[in-house]
Amino acid sequence: MNPRRLAAILRKEMLHIFRDSRNLFLVTVSPAFLLFLLAYIFSFEVSQLRLAVMDLDRSPLSRRYVAVLTNDQDFVLARTIDRYDAIEPLLAAGQIDVGLVIPPGFADTIYAGRAAQVQAIIDGSDAFAGRQAISSLGTKSARFVAGAGGVSLVAQPIEMRTQTFYNAGLKSLNSMVPGLLAVVLLMPTLALALALTREKESGTFEGLVATPVSGAEYLLGKLATYIFMGLVSACLAWLVAVFWFQVPFRGSLPVYLLLAADYFLACMGVVVVVASFVRSQQTALFIVLLVFVVPSFFLAGLIMPVETGSVGGWLTSFALPSTHFVEISRTVFLKGLGLGYLLRPALVLLGMGLGALAAALALFRKRAA
Amino acid sequence: MLLRIVNMVRKEMIQFSRDRLLALFIVLAPMLQLILLAQNTGRGIRDQPLVIVDLDHSRLSRQLTADLENTEELKVQFYSDDMAEMRRLLDTGQARLAVIIPAGFGRNVSNTSSSQQIQIVADGTSVIAASISMATAAGVVTNFAADLAESFGLVMPEFIDFRTNVRFNPTLNARDFTIPAQLGFIVYQVTLAVAALGLARERELGTLEQLMVTPLRRIELAAGKAIPAIAIGMVNFAAMLVISQVLFHVPMNGSMLLLAAMTLLFVVAVANWGVALSSFSRTQQQAILLVFIQVMVEIALSGYLVPVKNLPGVLQVLSRLSPLQHYLTIVRGVMLKGAGWEALWPQAAALAALGVATGVVALRSVIRRLD
Repeated sequence: MNPRRLAAILRKEMLHIFRDSRNLFLVTVSPAFLLFLLAYIFSFEVSQLRLAVMDLDRSPLSRRYVAVLTNDQDFVLARTIDRYDAIEPLLAAGQIDVGLVIPPGFADTIYAGRAAQVQAIIDGSDAFAGRQAISSLGTKSARFVAGAGGVSLVAQPIEMRTQTFYNAGLKSLNSMVPGLLAVVLLMPTLALALALTREKESGTFEGLVATPVSGAEYLLGKLATYIFMGLVSACLAWLVAVFWFQVPFRGSLPVYLLLAADYFLACMGVVVVVASFVRSQQTALFIVLLVFVVPSFFLAGLIMPVETGSVGGWLTSFALPSTHFVEISRTVFLKGLGLGYLLRPALVLLGMGLGALAAALALFRKRAA
Repeated sequence: MLLRIVNMVRKEMIQFSRDRLLALFIVLAPMLQLILLAQNTGRGIRDQPLVIVDLDHSRLSRQLTADLENTEELKVQFYSDDMAEMRRLLDTGQARLAVIIPAGFGRNVSNTSSSQQIQIVADGTSVIAASISMATAAGVVTNFAADLAESFGLVMPEFIDFRTNVRFNPTLNARDFTIPAQLGFIVYQVTLAVAALGLARERELGTLEQLMVTPLRRIELAAGKAIPAIAIGMVNFAAMLVISQVLFHVPMNGSMLLLAAMTLLFVVAVANWGVALSSFSRTQQQAILLVFIQVMVEIALSGYLVPVKNLPGVLQVLSRLSPLQHYLTIVRGVMLKGAGWEALWPQAAALAALGVATGVVALRSVIRRLD
């Protein structure tokens, strides 16, 4: 390993990045740009279910019942209907999520001290929304009963207090932005994958092999350049998160950047190994898209927690570098904890990166020989 | 003209089959991805690690713990009688939720004059997990309180007998919901990526000049690039459909033919747009960048992760331009609801309109950019 040759590779890579404005955008600005875009979409997630009501009672009490159901963000009264068979087509067309049928004599039954039957027809095709509808309707009906005129309040033997740590008020933006950072910071990795394969596609790779530069110098030079540029992009994305979206940042920035470098090392290490088999940029695109990006949306714990129920699911999530960085990013941002608490994910990423790097070097030597 | 298009398509297919790894990734990788995603997503919130801080150690506190353990969503993993320990477990992420039972709970609760306080603390870093596990724990405590009240002779009246009737997916099986969506994502990304790189690749490798001097007309060139992408998209769709039916038993309540026809509309719209992106791009890298940003935004806008109806106005309009959003409505409608043409024609019309519009854009940009 010759430091002069390593420096030469670094300089060459920097030149490549800075000469092409699109490449520069891809490596430095695109994560911040994507974060900006995605965070807007993910920040509005109060799910509101659309309700169609068929009120056959038309009493003040039934109207109050509907009012109680729709008095907050959970339900919105989308339609009032007067035929039972109007519900099904509305559900099928996706215009409503719940059809509610209030029977005739609803008020009289309740005032007589008996239970009135209410029917809810729920669109189950979105299972999460369906569950939410059932539980929310149940809670609201119970609350309505407790407050209904003439009914004495039930004594409560237990009082409940709920509290959230780290993210008061459960703000979705505060949780999503640090998580999304793991997704958008895959862009520098994509840039590296493209740079590696383009060199093969355009034939300049052969030229490099013919120079005295060794495989280790070539790979480390490339990796160092892209990790460094990745850190620049992480800083930009961090600025967007903290100053534009005002997500609280309770940890330390040096720790954050150190762990981001760790994350880049793991992702880029894997890409370097893969790239040694791949000849075209198109294939590299498919691999990064299918292996890193799309699974990161679903399996990395970004929205739903990591599946721990099955061994396969756990392994898949564990093997994804982004799973570990979602954890790291949220911990540093929201919990404000230091490196001591993050040793496990940090070491996993480091192990992935170094292991991949060793494999890449071995592969590289074999090819060059 | 037809012959020239056929030849162009043949040339494309030969190129794909030559790059073995690419061919592999275009066909096999999506299948693997579907299997992986389908197996590991959509089960909802389950077994969230819970720490019980039992400062009471009474029969009642143990009973409440057992009730919490008996939920699908929660799993009691730690017992502690120390608040600092609880904080540490939440800090390290080993526990996501804590339920604190105060000292004297069992003794004082039977003395109905004073109500006892149960505290629930959630880790708010993951919002959905936090709100669902918190609601679950709160539900358990509420039921526990109601049973307790009843045992004291206080009757909780039930004035509304609530009957729910879940349509289309009676067991609320989340997998039936997620798999059709994943199918849509995969067909989308593969079609777009294949279509978007075609022209950019020719341009970068310098073979576009050679194509230009052949008698091939622009429209034939555009069609020759779009058709292979459409074909690959449809092959992927068929494979995904088989997997979802055979491996995961997702119901097919509607007409398969209708779904295939509407998928064709979708794939055409996506492929046309891919060709347009390709003609805007000077290098493959640029095309890839556009594809990437597009795929990420589209997944976000598709209505799968965030319901479209909750998006703010501008984004809602934008999401109407997303073919994926319309397509997901169609796939779910046909497969789960058994919806037919009468329910889905607006989506089909939107896809057809998008297909024509993107076709015009693609053709115009191919003509303009190549001359």
